Amino acid sequence: MLIKLEGGRIYDPANNIDGEAGDLYIRDNAIVAAPGENETVHRTYALAGKIVMAGAIDLHTHIGGGKVNIARTMLPEDQRDHVMAKSDLTRSGGGHAAPSTLAAGYRYAEMGYTSCFEPAVLPSNARQAHMEMADTPIIDTGGYAMLGNDDLLLQLIADGAEQQTINDYVAWTLQATQCIGIKVVNPGGINAFKFNQRALDVDDAHPHYRITPREIVAKLSRALHELAVPHPLHVHASNLGVPGNYLSTLATMEAAGGLPIHLTHIQFHSYGTEGERKFSSSAAQIAEAVNNHTNVSIDVGQIMFGQTVTVSGDTMAQHANHNHAHPRKWTCMDIECEAGCGVVPFRYRDKNFVNALQWAIGLELFLMVDDPWRVFLTTDHPNGAPFTSYPHLIRLLMDRSFRNDLLGEINPDAASASHLGSLQREYSLYEIAIMTRAAPARILGLTDRGHLAPGALADITVYHQHEDPEQMFAKPMLVFKAGDLVVEEGRISKPVKGTTQVVRPEYDPAIEKEIGRWFERYHSISLQNFGISDDEMAEGIGSRVTVHPCREGRP
Amino acid sequence: MWNNKIDQTTNAVTCPGCGLSCDDLKIVTSNGRLTSMHNGCVRAHRFYDTAFSNIDRTPMIDGTPSSLDEAIERGAELLQKSCSPLFAGLATDVNGMRSILGLADRCGATLDHMNGDALLRNLRVVQDNGWFTTTFTEVRNRADLILIVGGQCIERFPRLVERVLHPAEGLFSKPDDRKLVLLGPWIGGRVPDLLEHLNPTLIPLELEALSDAVAMLRALIAGRPVNTGRLDGNLGDALSDLADALKAARYSVICWSAAELDLPHSELTILGLAELAKALNNESRSAALPLAGTQGDITCNQVSTWQLGYPVRTRLQRGYPEHDPLLNRWQDLIERGENDLLLWVASLSSETIPPSCDAPTIVLGHPGMVFNAPPALYIPVGVPGVDHQGHWYRSDSVCSLPLGKLREIGLPSVSHLINRLHERLQPAASEPAGDDPC
Repeated sequence: MLIKLEGGRIYDPANNIDGEAGDLYIRDNAIVAAPGENETVHRTYALAGKIVMAGAIDLHTHIGGGKVNIARTMLPEDQRDHVMAKSDLTRSGGGHAAPSTLAAGYRYAEMGYTSCFEPAVLPSNARQAHMEMADTPIIDTGGYAMLGNDDLLLQLIADGAEQQTINDYVAWTLQATQCIGIKVVNPGGINAFKFNQRALDVDDAHPHYRITPREIVAKLSRALHELAVPHPLHVHASNLGVPGNYLSTLATMEAAGGLPIHLTHIQFHSYGTEGERKFSSSAAQIAEAVNNHTNVSIDVGQIMFGQTVTVSGDTMAQHANHNHAHPRKWTCMDIECEAGCGVVPFRYRDKNFVNALQWAIGLELFLMVDDPWRVFLTTDHPNGAPFTSYPHLIRLLMDRSFRNDLLGEINPDAASASHLGSLQREYSLYEIAIMTRAAPARILGLTDRGHLAPGALADITVYHQHEDPEQMFAKPMLVFKAGDLVVEEGRISKPVKGTTQVVRPEYDPAIEKEIGRWFERYHSISLQNFGISDDEMAEGIGSRVTVHPCREGRP
Repeated sequence: MWNNKIDQTTNAVTCPGCGLSCDDLKIVTSNGRLTSMHNGCVRAHRFYDTAFSNIDRTPMIDGTPSSLDEAIERGAELLQKSCSPLFAGLATDVNGMRSILGLADRCGATLDHMNGDALLRNLRVVQDNGWFTTTFTEVRNRADLILIVGGQCIERFPRLVERVLHPAEGLFSKPDDRKLVLLGPWIGGRVPDLLEHLNPTLIPLELEALSDAVAMLRALIAGRPVNTGRLDGNLGDALSDLADALKAARYSVICWSAAELDLPHSELTILGLAELAKALNNESRSAALPLAGTQGDITCNQVSTWQLGYPVRTRLQRGYPEHDPLLNRWQDLIERGENDLLLWVASLSSETIPPSCDAPTIVLGHPGMVFNAPPALYIPVGVPGVDHQGHWYRSDSVCSLPLGKLREIGLPSVSHLINRLHERLQPAASEPAGDDPC
């Protein structure tokens, strides 16, 4: 089957194509070069005036795993208020802040997304994360395994283990959990909370191991660099949500020692202590640091006003914030000497000073970080807002007068405490294509997607041109997933199944003996039952594995 | 191949005999028979002995033997005719439950697990309030005070002491230094040896008095003025001492089994226990350890929650999920005659036979089932962890462990049978034929 997408305006930043009209060809699951004259094109879509981009990639969205299921359990009202009936093609489901897996997959695809990454896979919960993602239709998925609060790693670092040992442990973890990256959440802090410590700044010593978050970040970012894992250490920094935490964020950037580091939902980590309320925007300092450190990438974690639920591995921060729960219920959990989780429903209010300023800080960061290749469009779904708010967020970035209109509606003290009104920048479609396609593919090491050159996976989204970007991005005309036409006019036309994206750096299997001894003595699961094989992924969990290469030329 | 490999000798078998899901069983089989087992408790022996001693895979239509094809045909007819089916029991593995949910969506079924009462006692607390919980490995390594509420934890979870409460060693708390407090119906009753060896502090009281005791404990922890003397005997003083011990502990664990608390409104007692753990975290560290998971209740509920957005007791009759923890109780639906078909799935135990029901009953059941009256259709199914591989959640809802395959005698999995039934259903008039929804 050869398909021609004819005459669309193509935005393909990875190949420096900025809205020029052109043709694309799809054969089976891939984009191919223009065929010879004798070849038959089976289907042609006339796309003059339409916008053509690669399928969008969300590199940080909580779509699978225990904490999401806790959120669903705790919020039956979220399901009740957002019902999704079955159709002749699709299953029923529902939910908004914590959608069912089926609802999440359909809705992502309907917005033109074709790959999504769960950023907080607890190793002992990895099977569940993958099972949930396997039940999230259409999109490809992947996960980042959480390390840096597990007692085994902290003990290794405290004992002065060689970097090579840390590297082996990290690589083993990626393999055992079938993940594509490593995330650290509040480095050492979740663990310290189990010792009743309520805060742990970047240079504070852990109450038991006497090591610092700085050392944990340094060891893990070096491990990923030396293992040639494409995605840098994905860091949820210390002191989330605490006024003045921008200093911790800057210190965390420095902790990487110039090696690549990704700071996630940085909006929640860009707070100062200026002003009467001792809460202010430090977006300018953070943006300047990002602009000056080319080893640093960020995603924003934009908040939107309304009801959502915060789900996080950061038990320390979530417990500290439980008094803000709306509605007034919350869950926390200590998990398997690995990490934890906290689920706190939350309603962001535009008339509330802090919430309004959080909204402005996120937008300031988007607009003040110069390089769209190093800043990614996220709401930290569902922590800042459900992912369904992305089209609205894109309009905020592309339309200054719309942005300023909304700025006039928020808490006036917050509006006047923010630089947002003075920021002139408007994102172009090309820049949106960078931050939602080309850049996430590049930073995850996914050479097969995020672009439209021959050889790429045929993950393609076609939009109607519309003066309102929110409407344009909410309802694509066509979405192709690996060559299948899965969405037409914003509705599912073919529910397919995606695959799981992983990396496999090599390691010395001797590390398994050390891990095995630890499991034998302290764990409640046998090591043999811990790791997930490729066969188990395909046949038991229900999602085949796609292995992506590590960077060439290990240092 | 993950699905077809038979493990003849294995040292890390996961046992689905209870929610502890011990995964250190050493099992040897030969020609489909169990040769030896190590590390198995009394429940494990019962589970594997029953599974291995039952090999009949003959389906029965109205008590008469049939072929599997005929049975599938009959099952599809019954499902086709039904306007209001109830899918209950639901004792199966993850893939069994996935298939059941797909068929339930197709048929507009209502879903409840056989342990729904116990499950919802805990879940209603989560729905209304949330809780602060912990997992087995944390308790093994961290707990310095363990409060066990109720009197049946060893009966229900035989290896609880060695696997969770008192392992050979712990990272941050010496097992021998741990304090164990038993709050429950120990009046005149004998404490099991496994617990007695740990020198527990006994606070005896009837289960009916538990709610009041927990309320007093919470008040004491919160520093409210409390008249401890209003309770009989030494109970007030004992609770006062317990409150002090909980406050002084570095990491206290509060443990119960909701199945045991089979009293009206005992979700309120559980709410009290959950709030107690939460309150202790204002100053020190504490967490709850609700014990569950037996008959796959956590497994079933996890899958239901991620696919439907709701726990069990959810109805799909109107084309979308509607959850009601009271109205959709399976016992009441049958009692009120609200279902015109019962699909009873029970693959783990031969004893979990279907309830008597006026509507026709399809049973996908353990091969050792013996019925009081023959159901409209019985198809013996493979036992997860014996006849096929699968996944299974243990009590703490975090760890889904792989189940192995120990024999091959042609017993189909629940997932396989449900998928065949699903394929046989004719598309409704309003639906075009085609691929099943993903």
